[in-house]
Amino acid sequence: MKKYELMAIIANDLDEKKAVSQVKESLADKITEQKGSVTFEDFWGAKGFAYKIHGQKWGYYVVLQFELDPENLSELEREWNIDPKVVRFLVSKVDPRAGDPVTQAERVKEMEAQKKEDEIAEMEAETKKAASVKKAKSEDAASKTEEKDSEGKKDAVDKKLDQILDDASLDL
Amino acid sequence: MPPKPKKFICTFCRSKVDHIDYKDAATLAQYITYYRSIQSRFHTGICLKHQKRLSNAIKKARFMGLLPFVRYEK
Repeated sequence: MKKYELMAIIANDLDEKKAVSQVKESLADKITEQKGSVTFEDFWGAKGFAYKIHGQKWGYYVVLQFELDPENLSELEREWNIDPKVVRFLVSKVDPRAGDPVTQAERVKEMEAQKKEDEIAEMEAETKKAASVKKAKSEDAASKTEEKDSEGKKDAVDKKLDQILDDASLDL
Repeated sequence: MPPKPKKFICTFCRSKVDHIDYKDAATLAQYITYYRSIQSRFHTGICLKHQKRLSNAIKKARFMGLLPFVRYEK
């Protein structure tokens, strides 16, 4: 027994409920007929194609994972090739590196959550930048006032010196 | 001395992704060009191991109509 993953497109001349029953009829039941067992099922629903397939612009997507003897796979593929309700299908081995199967709804949710997190991180980075710029500005201002203070001190020292030099009572 | 070229780090290695899923079209779409061909490793900085897996995933996604083959269609 080997683990396989099937992605199939169901024809769009059915409504959604009929498409779900069609999946059972022409995909899942045929797998069990060939002594396989379906371990995971995910019905994506209606989805547009990136290009026209048999003149159609959209179809119902479904993903199944199943265990099957490799000898029986060719028979299954032959049947699906004949079936007019299966527009296109792709059977691939389940990658041993892949974790537990994820449904499409969960995947979309994760993506959205990730996007929000990224946005928040960006906002925080921007506010931090703005804060650092403000700090730098205030530091600049502080250093300027210090300079002014030191200049004032210099003036005071000069005046004192002048006073002492001008003082006639001192013998230098 | 001319400035050193920018060093790329493989994005999949950085996020420790081992398996690239062909069903995740949004991620794969980041690695195709304006004319919808697979972007070369030279431009994305992806390591060879991940580029091979990525290109296989993109090809599978294209076959199932998740990604386009070309930009313009008649």
